Amino acid sequence: MLAVAALMILVGLVALVVTDAGSASELAWLGAGTAAALLAAGMAAGSPGPVHAAVLLLGAIFLARHDLRLLLAPLYGAGLLQLEALATRTIELRGVALIAPEAIWSRTAATLLVAAVGACVAAAAALVVTVGPGRSVALTAAGAIAAVGAFAAIARFARGRYRRSE
Amino acid sequence: MRGSLSPRIRGVLAVAATGMIAALATGRPELAVLAAPFLIFAGAGLFLAGEPRVVADIELERARLLEGEAVAATARLSNEAGRAVNVELVPAHPGQLVLEPSGALGVLVPAKGETAIRFSLRPARWGAYSVGPLVIRVRDPLGLVIWEGTLGRRLNLRVFPREERLRELVAPSRTRPFLGNHVARSRGEGIEFADVRPFQVGDRVRRVNWRATARRGALQVNDRHPEHSSDVVLLLDTFAEARDAASGTLDSAVRAAAALARAHLARRDRVGVVDFGGTLHWLEPAFGTNQLYRIIDALLASDVAFSYAWRDAVSLPRRVLPPGALILAITPLLDERSIALVTDLARRGCDLTVVEVSPFDHVRPGPSASDALAYRLWHLERDALRARLRALGIAVAVWDPDLTLGPALEEVNAFRRSARHAAFA
Repeated sequence: MLAVAALMILVGLVALVVTDAGSASELAWLGAGTAAALLAAGMAAGSPGPVHAAVLLLGAIFLARHDLRLLLAPLYGAGLLQLEALATRTIELRGVALIAPEAIWSRTAATLLVAAVGACVAAAAALVVTVGPGRSVALTAAGAIAAVGAFAAIARFARGRYRRSE
Repeated sequence: MRGSLSPRIRGVLAVAATGMIAALATGRPELAVLAAPFLIFAGAGLFLAGEPRVVADIELERARLLEGEAVAATARLSNEAGRAVNVELVPAHPGQLVLEPSGALGVLVPAKGETAIRFSLRPARWGAYSVGPLVIRVRDPLGLVIWEGTLGRRLNLRVFPREERLRELVAPSRTRPFLGNHVARSRGEGIEFADVRPFQVGDRVRRVNWRATARRGALQVNDRHPEHSSDVVLLLDTFAEARDAASGTLDSAVRAAAALARAHLARRDRVGVVDFGGTLHWLEPAFGTNQLYRIIDALLASDVAFSYAWRDAVSLPRRVLPPGALILAITPLLDERSIALVTDLARRGCDLTVVEVSPFDHVRPGPSASDALAYRLWHLERDALRARLRALGIAVAVWDPDLTLGPALEEVNAFRRSARHAAFA
């Protein structure tokens, strides 16, 4: 069921791109097909690598859309996150013989909540980009420093508290 | 419990980093906006993950069961934390103890609450098993951190060999002068008619055979065979076994030993066990139900232990093999030491019977023609060995574990009868 939901989200995301891809629609379809194949292969093989590759590919084909890209990006990003969550949950549940439905719903609801918060933050960032001044070296550097800082904080926190699982 | 990062976190951070770098490189802010939820997800997942406070315990419906049966188990999980946790119960005993349903069992344990998971365990064969502690895996609410640990106590589960009813047993050559179910060769008070002989002083009047007296003109009395018990020693060969993925000759040998012990004890015989292998264990012959449980417990502990030690009949204490005891050797006849022991016992005049647990079901010939030839030669060697043992007066019956033990015992009895008749003739 989770795998079907992931594939449905993929269809929705692809539809969002190809409806306004214009001349790049063939490229978008190719990317979408490859992403679908990668997603299905990852879920079938129980490996999260192809799933994340599919997510990256879907993110790349989003650039094929012509209009309202910045406006739809938060929604698209949240959709990508939900797709990744459902696909990886499918992989996790491969070895599980019996699971209570509430255990699935609680995780899905938590992911949806975080995806919604992420979409809001992304929308705020998009708003800042839209209403803010044009591209400059200073702004680019500030954005790069903010992104690197966020990654460094996450990596340091993770390294301090947890060991990587094999 | 020990916490570790799930493999998923690498992928999430890789997607976020790729989006950010691509946005900076191409000057397209949409890519950074696409990556932002992933970055927030990773951060939120790691900051929200805290060590779960889960307590687990396991209960078994029964501590003893018969081979082939399943036992119901209940795992009780209680969560002392203020938020619900996803718990997976991971099977800790693959192979010998099969979990039904197979695989991990997932459940949501509510905040400050308790949940029970029911499952069943089916042992693959007889033996003594330990169940627990439980292997628990808890994932954080977003699945980025995994906590694993073992919780709960260890329970013992004893699986007895499956019961086989035997209608006929090997009749002992000698009996003990105690009440039992075997018709003794000696004469005395009993039910079974033996002979008619002239009256002697001291004979009871009720034993007078009036018809024979009338025919012969002098008082004649009936002689009878008394019903006696016997001593039976089960000799379990644990030097070597033939084994495939599913089962081995020792599994079958233990089943046979348990069935024979049960049947002989039911006939009021004294039964003892000798586990003759790399390690030597024995149980002196005794009567009754308690002895049956002692024997089965001893059988459950039997295992093939690799050893170079040479053992013979002298290794056995005298009291383990009482004089006149019927010795039932249950062996696949695969190890030279067990063959030497059987030969030695026969030469010492013991009342010995060999139940050969056929190893052929567990050994397949290789694919080549020379493999097939070697397999045939091995068959012939075993036939020759059997003939050699029979020439020594040892009753040897080949038992195919897929069939019941009854025909093998009947074969033994037939051999012993014919050997006796040959001796008298």
